[in-house]
Amino acid sequence: MAARRTIPFHWSFLIVAALIPLIELAIPGDHHIGDLLRPIFIMAMLGLGLNILTGFTGLLNLGVAAFMAVGAYSYAILTCDIYPFRLGFWSATIITVLVGLTVGLFLGLPTIRLRGDYLAIVTLGFGEIVEDVLKNLDSITKGTQGINPLPSPSLFGYQFRPETYQPWYYLFLGFLALLVLVNRNLHRSRVGRAWISIREDELASSCMGINPMKMKLLAFALGAAQCSLAGALWASYLGSSGEPGNYDFQVSIIALCMVIVGGMGNIGGVLLGALVITGFNSIVLETLTNFLKAHQIINSSNAFTAPGNWKYMLYGLALVLMMRFRPEGLLPSKQLKAELHSPEPPTTPSS
Amino acid sequence: MNILEISDLTVRFGGLTAVNAVSLDIPDGEIVSVIGPNGAGKTTLFNAVTGIHEPTAGRIRFDGRETRRPFRGTTVLTLALIGLIAALSLVLVADIEPLWDAVITTNYVYQQTFPWQKTPGAAVSYFAEEPGRRFVVPFLIGGITGLAGAYAIWARTRYAPEVAARAGVARTFQNIRLFNQMTVLDNVLLGMDSRLRTRFWHAALRLPLYWRERREAEQRAVEILRFVRLDQEAHQLAENLSYGHQRRLEIARALAIQPRLLLLDEPAAGMNPAEAQELMKLIHDIRQRGVTVLLIEHHMPVVMGISDRIAVLDHGEKIAEGTPVEVRSNTRVIEAYLGKG
Repeated sequence: MAARRTIPFHWSFLIVAALIPLIELAIPGDHHIGDLLRPIFIMAMLGLGLNILTGFTGLLNLGVAAFMAVGAYSYAILTCDIYPFRLGFWSATIITVLVGLTVGLFLGLPTIRLRGDYLAIVTLGFGEIVEDVLKNLDSITKGTQGINPLPSPSLFGYQFRPETYQPWYYLFLGFLALLVLVNRNLHRSRVGRAWISIREDELASSCMGINPMKMKLLAFALGAAQCSLAGALWASYLGSSGEPGNYDFQVSIIALCMVIVGGMGNIGGVLLGALVITGFNSIVLETLTNFLKAHQIINSSNAFTAPGNWKYMLYGLALVLMMRFRPEGLLPSKQLKAELHSPEPPTTPSS
Repeated sequence: MNILEISDLTVRFGGLTAVNAVSLDIPDGEIVSVIGPNGAGKTTLFNAVTGIHEPTAGRIRFDGRETRRPFRGTTVLTLALIGLIAALSLVLVADIEPLWDAVITTNYVYQQTFPWQKTPGAAVSYFAEEPGRRFVVPFLIGGITGLAGAYAIWARTRYAPEVAARAGVARTFQNIRLFNQMTVLDNVLLGMDSRLRTRFWHAALRLPLYWRERREAEQRAVEILRFVRLDQEAHQLAENLSYGHQRRLEIARALAIQPRLLLLDEPAAGMNPAEAQELMKLIHDIRQRGVTVLLIEHHMPVVMGISDRIAVLDHGEKIAEGTPVEVRSNTRVIEAYLGKG
């Protein structure tokens, strides 16, 4: 294969993202594209956590929103002043990541011998359980109100304010870059190799001395930790833990869509998937709605004509089309592309 | 000295006895073949040796020890620790709301410093109020479930392929099982995995050990690929290799484990005579490196050409064992292959 060296997509994504606020400052006028990008970064982190489980290791997880909820609620409990902990941003974030890691292990241990569909069902159930527990554990989680208000983080003496989005933007981008770096490093090491070998052929992989249980647990722990980091940042961004309904099955499915649409097992693909799916939701649909309203093409009394109400249908359509024409995702990993487009499995002459 | 001693091995799947009371000793440094008609139990024998199937009866000793997870003091400690964690978690979670109220909410005055020194006392008096329901029952349920679950998982994975592989038993598969979407080099590096010392934090942060070990491992992998003459294909995807090359890559991947015993399951299947000749030379070279080879093969020229000894299986039982010359003239072997005259 000719070594044509190009900058991988995940790096160019991060570089372009780092430049956007500067460009906005340079161009006069009121823009807020950068503002809208923040949820994309957080969803991308969620996608990266899921990608470790589903993309690398091949463990289909339908409950990542639960990990995110665990992160958001631990962060909220640790920082909100109605609880005695009242920690700062860094210590709360670090503890939250450790909590996520533990929860990942707790879910991983009993389910470690399940495969494929069975694991998917269990993780689906786990997601529902976490949501219900948060709803009903009134005295700790404040039930359906969620925990608020959370103090804005202050870093190195700088106090974040909700009005200026740039510091938040770079904080989230920094965390995203860190996760991209760590995931890329893991992917290209013995850990990533072992994960992929388990996805491809668990038996052969264990015959080569890989302990599949250990590697799957590691994937669970690291994936959950990253998802809970996304949750913690989400809570700090909202200034609230959000209500339990914010972390329902739809969020898990959207995270899965991001991974699938972007390209499973590929870090750049997950970033692109987050950009396309979350961006479609929070940028394209919003702008379209505002535009249509401003020109009085639609009015708010007719729910049928609001583009926002069509989004799940459009997601569904996009997924169907993706699976038909480009099953490997927009930006596939080379490996998976080969898998899905090989005309037939390599034939083995029978002996 | 025998590197592998199989004594009275029986493997049963429900009512089917795939291997029945087979005993076989493999001396260190020899090439031993197992032959027999289809369905004779050869691959099941291999699966038992590599820990895929647990023996129903009998023993397999590799290098003087059984290839299963040993039951050590640390095993007991780990199981006890898991049980304890499960027990305490259930105590904590079972009735968390009143506990939280008793320990945190009642002691916290809004925005005042929290009296942390009061919390252990508050927790103790909370549990002391109703020790049976609040502590003992969840502790016992959690502890027993955790311990039993951990023990069940441990017991069911006692015979595991990775245990055998790490002890030094490597194998190839009858129907090639490469990691098709990984490169040739990565396949070999994966085989080397059990010999690597980097942990995930080395890899995640790319600490110096990662770089050093990566360089060394890639060098060794290329050496192994050169040994099976695949170094030109190092960066291709495994599935793009030709059939003969895939067979050789499987051997390379197995050699990367640095095994003392290599099990080859029909390596010459589907090969033409020239390729089979080449394979025989390769197996010889592997033996020269000090690796004992156990071989399943239908290709008689290969079997007769390189084996020091041959064992013949039929219907799960060993019907003959000896040098190639002895086996060739054994009447039971001829009957098994050709039927009674």
